Amino acid sequence: MRSARSDANMASSEKSTKERLLSTLDDLEVLSREMIEMLALSRSQKPPQSGEDNQVLELLVQRDGEFQALMQQAVEQGRQQQEMLRLEKELEKRDSDIQQLQKQLKEAEHILATAVYQAKEKLKSIEKARKGSISSEEIIKYAHRISASNAVCAPLNWVPGDPRRPYPTDLEMRSGMLGQMNNPSNNGNVNGHLPGDALAAGRLPDILTSQYLWQSTDVSMGMLPPHHGNEFGPGHNKENEDDVEAMSTDTSSSSSDSD
Amino acid sequence: METIPLQQETEDYSFLPLIHDIIKCMDKDSPDVQQELNKLKTKIQETREQILAMPGIETNLEQQQQQLQTLTEQVHTKNQLLHKYKGLCMFDIPKA
Repeated sequence: MRSARSDANMASSEKSTKERLLSTLDDLEVLSREMIEMLALSRSQKPPQSGEDNQVLELLVQRDGEFQALMQQAVEQGRQQQEMLRLEKELEKRDSDIQQLQKQLKEAEHILATAVYQAKEKLKSIEKARKGSISSEEIIKYAHRISASNAVCAPLNWVPGDPRRPYPTDLEMRSGMLGQMNNPSNNGNVNGHLPGDALAAGRLPDILTSQYLWQSTDVSMGMLPPHHGNEFGPGHNKENEDDVEAMSTDTSSSSSDSD
Repeated sequence: METIPLQQETEDYSFLPLIHDIIKCMDKDSPDVQQELNKLKTKIQETREQILAMPGIETNLEQQQQQLQTLTEQVHTKNQLLHKYKGLCMFDIPKA
């Protein structure tokens, strides 16, 4: 019986303190009831068994002692539980601090990554510009050529009614190389069209001189045909005014079918 | 914490005085036997309820000490970690 009890004690060490307390309390209840019943019986006619009485009494005292020890242990565990709760609260606070720090580090990483990326892009742009660099004089020359055709600003002496336009007119387009390619069989000036041969020879008839009047006199030589560099100017306006009026009428029509 | 009341409470948890009173009453054939029996029964029931309400006894003492040690180590480690990262090299950000 005692070996069984020791085995029970060993097994009970793995049980929780609560289970052991309740078990011991149940034992105390049973033993005290048994003790009282035995005493009650001893008052009756049945002779008492002293050995059994003593055994029950010993067990009762033993169980009571165990119960007292377990209760002290339970009180101690209660104190440790309070300490554990305090440590858990501190742990929660540390966890939130770590999360906050992690968030800030992540934000800093994002900012630094963005800055590094933008810096790299700028370096790439710098390198690209350095490779494809153009001299400023060339750019200024090109800008001068573009602006010399009065495409961005009307000539100073332009008035409403002036046939000059900042864009190539219909007649100009038809007298160009593309227009002549489409009409290779034209021999005369039909509605202002020129023979392709005359154009190919590099000599423009007078009818077309007015088309170039919208160009300013200080245009660079490279833009114009070489034979007519000095022939243009305001002086030719009167000669071709009628033609220009006719042409402007033609060009003003929506469907200029001059074929 | 209040240690003196706790010690008194543990002393009150002994059932031997009550059993002794019952036995005395039985010896004297006193009519208070039933009353003493009821006292014992009530005390056992109250003790049982108190045990069920006590905190921290869901585990045994060894397990609880192990948990306490683990928690202490965790707190110590996290404190060290925070101290380390907060003490890293600080950048002097020039004001634009």
